[in-house]
Amino acid sequence: MLKKYLLTFDPDQVSEPITFRIVKDFDLMVNILRAEIDEHGGRLMLGLEGSGPQIQKAVKYLEDAGVQVQELKEYIRKDDARCTNCGVCVSVCPVSAYQVDRSTWKVVFHNEKCIACGMCIDACPPGAIKLRAQT
Amino acid sequence: MKRSYEEINEKIRNGDAVVLTAEEIIEVVEKEGVERATKEVDIVTTGTFGAMCSSGAFLNFGHSEPPIKMIKVTLNEVPAYAGLAAVDAYIGATEPREDGSIEYGGAHVIEELIAGKAVHLRASSYGTDCYPRKDIDTWVSLKTINQAYMFNPRNAYQNYGVATNSSERTLYTYMGKLLPRYGNVTYSSAGQLSPLMNDPQLRTIGIGTRIFLGGAQGYVAWEGTQFKTNVEARNGVPTGASRTLAVIGDLKQMSTDYVRALSFHKYGPTLGVGVGVPIPILDEEMMKAVSVRDEQIFAPILDYSILSRNKTPIRQVSYAELRSGKVELNGRSVKSSSISSYQKARQIAEALKKQLIKGEFLLTEKVADLPEQKEQLPLDLHSREEVE
Repeated sequence: MLKKYLLTFDPDQVSEPITFRIVKDFDLMVNILRAEIDEHGGRLMLGLEGSGPQIQKAVKYLEDAGVQVQELKEYIRKDDARCTNCGVCVSVCPVSAYQVDRSTWKVVFHNEKCIACGMCIDACPPGAIKLRAQT
Repeated sequence: MKRSYEEINEKIRNGDAVVLTAEEIIEVVEKEGVERATKEVDIVTTGTFGAMCSSGAFLNFGHSEPPIKMIKVTLNEVPAYAGLAAVDAYIGATEPREDGSIEYGGAHVIEELIAGKAVHLRASSYGTDCYPRKDIDTWVSLKTINQAYMFNPRNAYQNYGVATNSSERTLYTYMGKLLPRYGNVTYSSAGQLSPLMNDPQLRTIGIGTRIFLGGAQGYVAWEGTQFKTNVEARNGVPTGASRTLAVIGDLKQMSTDYVRALSFHKYGPTLGVGVGVPIPILDEEMMKAVSVRDEQIFAPILDYSILSRNKTPIRQVSYAELRSGKVELNGRSVKSSSISSYQKARQIAEALKKQLIKGEFLLTEKVADLPEQKEQLPLDLHSREEVE
C-alpha cells in the first residue's frame, strides 16, 4: 500500500529525525516528495509504502509527536470537459502523472503518481487543471 | 487515372463517396499501393486543432434607439476594434481585458458567444448629427447579433518550429511552458493529419475552397498572413513554417467542441481553432501527397531563450519522434508535448468524413490559386526615404 501525506511542523520540531524513525520503527519505505523549512516551520510531503496497519501506526506516532498530518488523496483535478487533450501537461510533469493514451490520444491523469508540485496548473492552456481546493 | 470535382460531388450526392482520413489512408496505400488506392478512394480528410492567435470575429450589433456610431467598444470588458461603420466591430482572439489582466480575452468572448451566452457590450462615442447617442451599456448574444463571422487572417500553418529552452529559467511562451536547461520540448503541428501537409503545393486548396471551420462549413478566403514558400522541403513537405490560410466561417454555426478559448500563462489569451480540409483524390499525385506519414515530416527544434527572430535550429526532428513522447536532444532524452490536440485533429477529420459520406458537405474547386512563390519580409527600422 502506498499513501501520500503532507506533514506540517512547528519550528521547534524540525530537528526531530522523523523519517529515520518511520523507516526504522515502522518498516516503511519512505519517498520524500517535497521538503521546505522556513521561519514558520517545515512542510514535508512523503510517500509511505508498506502494510496498512504499519502506516496507521506511523501516522499515530507522528500525530503524538505534534506533527500535523494530512493525507493527500487528490491534490489537483483535471476537468475532462475543459481539457482539449493537447498534452502540454505531459512534458511539464516531473513524475509522468499525465500520459497520452496512444489509441485514443486522450490525456489521462494518474492521481497516484502526482506529487502535488503544481507545475502543471499554469501550463494548461484551456485552464482544465485546478487545485482541488479551488474546484 | 483522373477524377474530377463533378464526379466526386456526384458521388457525394448519391451517398457513394469513398472517404478516409489522412491517418487511415497511410495503411491503405502501404498495403495496396498508390495506383489501387487512387482508384478506390475519392476523398481524404484532414484536421488540426491548435492555438491560432491570428483569429477573431466580425460582429454587427444592430442599431440602438437613438442610434450610436460606436467608437470604443468592449465585450465583457475586452476591447473590440470599432474603426468601421457605426455598429460593426472586430473582436480579436488575443486582445486582453482592458484592466490589463491577461487570463481572459477576446478568445473567451468568442467561445462564450458560440456557447450561446450573453456578453456585456459597452460602447461610447463622441456623437454626430446622424448618430446622436454617446454611450450604450447592454447585453448581446448570437441571438441578437446580425452577423457574426469568424475571419482568421492566419490559420492552419503548414508545419511549425519545435520549441525548447536552454536558459536557466522557465519560459512562458505561446509554445507553452518551457522548462529550463532543455527540460522539455513542445510542438504544434498535427503532422500527418494537418491539412496543408497533405497537399503541400496547394494543388486543391485555394480561394473558395470549402473547409471545416470550428464545426461550421467555412471557406478559404485568401492566403494567410506570413505565407511563404521558400522553405526547404523533405519528402515533398516543407521542413518549417511555410504556407498559411486566411479562413472565414459563420460563428452561429460553430461549436465549442471545435473552438476553445485558451490562455497561455504570462503570454495571454489565444483561440483553439479546429480546421479540416477535404482533399479530393484527383489523380495518383494527390494520393501520394496524402499518404505522407509522421516519419517523413520534419521540423526544426528552436531555442526560445534566444530572443531573436533568427533562431538557428538545434536539429531537425520527425513528427514520429515528437509524437513518441521523447526526443533526443544533445545526447539526452527529453520529454515532448504537443500544443495542438491530436485527439481533436482526428475528431475533425472524422466529422468531416461523416459529413461527406452523408452528402452534407460538397467539395468546391478553388476560384484562384494561392501564391506559388512568396517570401516573408521582416520589419526593420528604416527612414521614410528607404521604404518609398
